[in-house]
Amino acid sequence: MIETEKLRKADIFTGAAVLLLGLFIISQGVQMPMKDSYAGVQNVWYVSPALLPLFIGATLSVLGAALISIALKAVGLGGLKNTLNYLGGADFTSFLRQPETIRFYGIVLNLIVFVFVLIPRIDFFAAAVIFLLMFFFMFYCGTTRQMVRLIWLNIGATILLCLFMFTGLADRIGNVVPFSADLLVVLYIILLIFTTYRQLAHDPQLLKKFRRSLIVAFVTPFTIGIIFKYFLLVPMPHEGLVVFLLDAVWYADFWS
Amino acid sequence: MIFLERIQSFFEIIGGMVSDPMSLVVLFASVLLGILFGAMPGLTSTLGVALLTALTYSMETPMAMICLLSIYVGGTYGGSYASILINIPGTAASAATALDGYPLACKGQGGRAIGLTTTASAIGTIISMLFVVSISPIISKFALQFTSFEFFLLAFFGILISGTLTAPDLVIKGWIMGFLGLFLACVGRDQLQFFPRFTFGISDLESGIEVVPVLIGAFGIPQIIGVLRDQSQMPKAKKLQRIMPEIGTILHNIPAIIRSALIGVGIGAVPGIGEDIAGWVSYGTAKNTSKHPETFGTGELKGVIASETANNACVGGAMIPLLNLGIPGSPPAAMLLGALMLHGVTPGPMITFEHPTFIREVAAILLLASIAMWITGMILAKQVVKILNIPTPLFMPIIGVLCIIGSYSLGLNIFNLFLMLPVGIICYFLTNMGYPIAPLVIGVILGPMADENLRRALMVSQGSFMPVFTRPVSLMLFLIIAWTLVCQFGWYKRMVTRVKELLFHRKKTN
Repeated sequence: MIETEKLRKADIFTGAAVLLLGLFIISQGVQMPMKDSYAGVQNVWYVSPALLPLFIGATLSVLGAALISIALKAVGLGGLKNTLNYLGGADFTSFLRQPETIRFYGIVLNLIVFVFVLIPRIDFFAAAVIFLLMFFFMFYCGTTRQMVRLIWLNIGATILLCLFMFTGLADRIGNVVPFSADLLVVLYIILLIFTTYRQLAHDPQLLKKFRRSLIVAFVTPFTIGIIFKYFLLVPMPHEGLVVFLLDAVWYADFWS
Repeated sequence: MIFLERIQSFFEIIGGMVSDPMSLVVLFASVLLGILFGAMPGLTSTLGVALLTALTYSMETPMAMICLLSIYVGGTYGGSYASILINIPGTAASAATALDGYPLACKGQGGRAIGLTTTASAIGTIISMLFVVSISPIISKFALQFTSFEFFLLAFFGILISGTLTAPDLVIKGWIMGFLGLFLACVGRDQLQFFPRFTFGISDLESGIEVVPVLIGAFGIPQIIGVLRDQSQMPKAKKLQRIMPEIGTILHNIPAIIRSALIGVGIGAVPGIGEDIAGWVSYGTAKNTSKHPETFGTGELKGVIASETANNACVGGAMIPLLNLGIPGSPPAAMLLGALMLHGVTPGPMITFEHPTFIREVAAILLLASIAMWITGMILAKQVVKILNIPTPLFMPIIGVLCIIGSYSLGLNIFNLFLMLPVGIICYFLTNMGYPIAPLVIGVILGPMADENLRRALMVSQGSFMPVFTRPVSLMLFLIIAWTLVCQFGWYKRMVTRVKELLFHRKKTN
């Protein structure tokens, strides 16, 4: 948690957000059936679906306003001015470049890419390997400089992948080469491993961490995925190349 | 006669579980998993229960309960390892343990401290189990007289008290989180008229927001971001010597263990508070009642015993309102409530009619889990502490994969992931700004109960709020809620101080 003075300054903004949310909930609530008929049922205010939302909206608005008032009492309008100056000044820019902030970008970017781009479209096993490798290379084997490089690589690869999938290229190539998007991700994994190896090859200590990362990044998705897919019978979010190969092995009739 | 029948049935349930090898395997494996989860700094029993909920989805209800309760018991106890050996609490519940546990480990008594906390935790869980069995029928009987007004006020009280007691900064922030949780619970078609609320035309929101992905997001994602962003290096764990505690030391500390267990049960029974506060309150009480309070913080065994007994006793305490009223006593209990609903068990006053032996089954699992925890702790402690040497950047991303597959697998719905991640990122920022997560979770879980009961109550009373004041339990709950609110105002605090001053002054002059 951040220190109290900074917290109070932040409270002005979060209080405003809560107040706005409360007002938004009220604005939505008043559009819900209160006394008019809905689906052939004549309403009365006390069974209206708006009852609780209106109560929540009103309470959140009051709480948001109270939070702003507490924060303003603590830091005054001067504090608000200072915060606005800070947000527009050089200090904030340098904060955005601090190692902790860069690490935050790396984590959130990796999570967003995994959840919103890879999971719905790429074979789960391949997606999970990329996700883990990226994390391990960023936080276990790498330095902040390497992390910045990896963040750019992640952004670039994601843009390319999106272009490949959303421009219809994936469908056209997919007619000729099955699992084309998965194959592209496999190529990306190879490229990622190769480039990271070249960066770490000079340091035996980092090389040891690199090897360990590779083992964990490949063993984990296969352990978790196989438990869910074949023992708990949970289909993977997207089943592609790797699941196809695993199915072939799992359902192969070894006895005939 | 009924009492004897109940005892007989309780032992029959225990016998049934012990004689089933599969149950025993699941029991010990889950306890061990819980200990590992609790021992790893950054992972909590809540997250453990949340992730295991996905795995237990396809299991039979009794087996799923063995699994989830065992991981809860193990996870609550497991936090003590990191607290004692590396001075970093494995869970917030064991934060107070580090104050005396680490100095003990520095003196070369780490093994002794772990042995004692293992035994104290097991005794604490068993005492809380006795309360689950003995108090539950009384509360259940009492709760049968509750009408919709009482249930609405109870849900509201749960959200409010959880916000009041868990807020690390301003109480108002706890309340905001509680109401945010209530708002999230409103999303989807309402249960009475099937009107779509806050769905914005998104069909995935029509059935409402699923509880488990929100919980996994709220508890898992902020931990992953926080641990990896801060990149805190863990110190080397202290070595363990003899773990088995001396019987004399245990007997000498029995009064302290019983007192701490009672504190744990009491705090656990208050909705939404949980183990974190129980540990601190018990530690504080032990220090205040000690003849040598100056020894606390320098390696006092009583301090370690107090916090660890209380946080484990909280497990049983949290089960009391969960099973009898449908209101979770702690965040992991909130997770358990979600899991129970997935298995078609709706906790509340009717549970004794719908599932007559369920409370006894829970009590039996608590007893067996505490025994399994003691055995595992004694045998595997030296092996478990090795987990503290695993670098956090290696296991945190794996937890990320588990969070994601766990959220997805419950409804086989990718939309759950689209919900889980934003909730997690928002919760990360909110946690850093002093907003507690527990009230949000309690709000999401109790939201439907509050909504339905408020409208049902008003329907019965034709829109009148008078029954709140004419029904004794309602009135009592209303007064408690009003007092909880009023207590936070500056004028009330000033008035109390003035009254105290006046009384004190009068006494002095007399």
